[in-house]
Amino acid sequence: MRKLALLLFLVPGPLLADVVYLKGGGKFTGRIVEQTAERIVIDIGDGTIGFSMERVEEIVKGPSPLDEYDARASKLGPQDVNGWRSLAQWASMKGLSVQSRAAYQKVLAAAPDDPEAREALGFVRVNGAWLTEEESYRARGFVKYEGEWLTPAEVQLAQSNAAMEQARSEAEKRASDAQYAASMARQQKQEDEKRAREEADRMRNNPVYWGGWGYGVTYWPNPAGVPR
Amino acid sequence: MSPRSGSSHRRLAAAVLVAALLPAAGALAAPPTPGAPSTRPAPSPTVDEIVGRYVVARGGIQKLRALRTLRQEGRVSAGAGRNGLVTREIKRPGKIRFEFTVQGVTSVFASDGQHGWKVSPLEGETGPQPLPDEVLIDAREQADIDGPLVDWKSKGSQVELVGREAVDGHDAFKLKLTLKSGGVLTAYVDVKSASLVRTEATRQIRGKQVRIETTFGDYRRTEGILFPHLVEVRAAGRPQLLRVVVDKVEVNPPLSDARFAPPA
Repeated sequence: MRKLALLLFLVPGPLLADVVYLKGGGKFTGRIVEQTAERIVIDIGDGTIGFSMERVEEIVKGPSPLDEYDARASKLGPQDVNGWRSLAQWASMKGLSVQSRAAYQKVLAAAPDDPEAREALGFVRVNGAWLTEEESYRARGFVKYEGEWLTPAEVQLAQSNAAMEQARSEAEKRASDAQYAASMARQQKQEDEKRAREEADRMRNNPVYWGGWGYGVTYWPNPAGVPR
Repeated sequence: MSPRSGSSHRRLAAAVLVAALLPAAGALAAPPTPGAPSTRPAPSPTVDEIVGRYVVARGGIQKLRALRTLRQEGRVSAGAGRNGLVTREIKRPGKIRFEFTVQGVTSVFASDGQHGWKVSPLEGETGPQPLPDEVLIDAREQADIDGPLVDWKSKGSQVELVGREAVDGHDAFKLKLTLKSGGVLTAYVDVKSASLVRTEATRQIRGKQVRIETTFGDYRRTEGILFPHLVEVRAAGRPQLLRVVVDKVEVNPPLSDARFAPPA
């Protein structure tokens, strides 16, 4: 198989492939759209990801689930609710979030009250109305604070702590010019850290807690955000 | 269960009994009616009895001891558009491998019992990296194929019955496990079915102490052993929910040691 992989590396131009295994573990499943001796680019159905061929252990060619999705989708009419629902379920089972979501949106376009599609797209029924996930959190009294949904009491506590910290910081700032300069530097650092936190929160605003079942990244990853 | 904890449970049971009877002190003053049925509640079971029932409910100690490797596949959802696939493999002694796939991108997290490593393209890493220490501690705990309640004494843990609480409307024994590593876990064992229905543990997440609740359900048997097919994880008091639906459980599949060893 490694010989086959090496041969594949030497063939330039677009190829259809299924799984690209990385050295040591990890893999990409999709369509290879570019491949040279140095670099490979794969379409994962939510954009493309490129990386060095040095990282590749093996390429296994096969029918891509993305191709199957496209083929099945092309045969469905806009009013075929059951067909789109079935395709959405299939895509979900294959781990194709983007395609599953797209298919459920087709279901909703034809049947706006479809409970399965609504729930799959994150809607929650509250008092007979479908609310988005965030709207439902607000309806339950949660408040978004620094990327997390907290109760108002928790937000108040966090803000109070932040205010105390700010007051302490300002008192230090007034203590002396030297301290002021140090404080300014500290404040700048805090702002930088805050910006970094906000940036991280943007990525990580949906923390993943695996409990005792597994362990992995502690935020919901965004494959579209993987460096290309 | 140690004699010491046994006596503490008896004291706890006695205290609970006294507390329960206090509001009825007036009634106690009345002379007992001859021939009336006894209203004394059933004695609280010991930790050994609860864990023993739990082990039997899972399939029995022999079946659990014969479990050498385990492979589970499922789907995970963390809300709208956040869906993925997960595979968990465990092998005695202390080996674990966890794969997490989102939109065709698969990350691997593993430990051979000594070292932990990951290849996580989902985090922009296409080469092997060591697991952070705190994650490695978690990995070692999760590599316990039996679960922490089975053979807890020989594992060096302490278990204490701290009460009874309702979990999703069902009465459950509340057990406090102190692992040999020092980690503390609260386990809820359903009074009726003797299944593990919830665990709680505190973890440091993004600089904050967060209590994590993991609820287990949809129990089904594979090769005579009971496994949960629905696992829901949430931070206490938070609305977000992580739901794992286990589609496939394989008991004793062939798993080579190389799957867990750090890449060369």
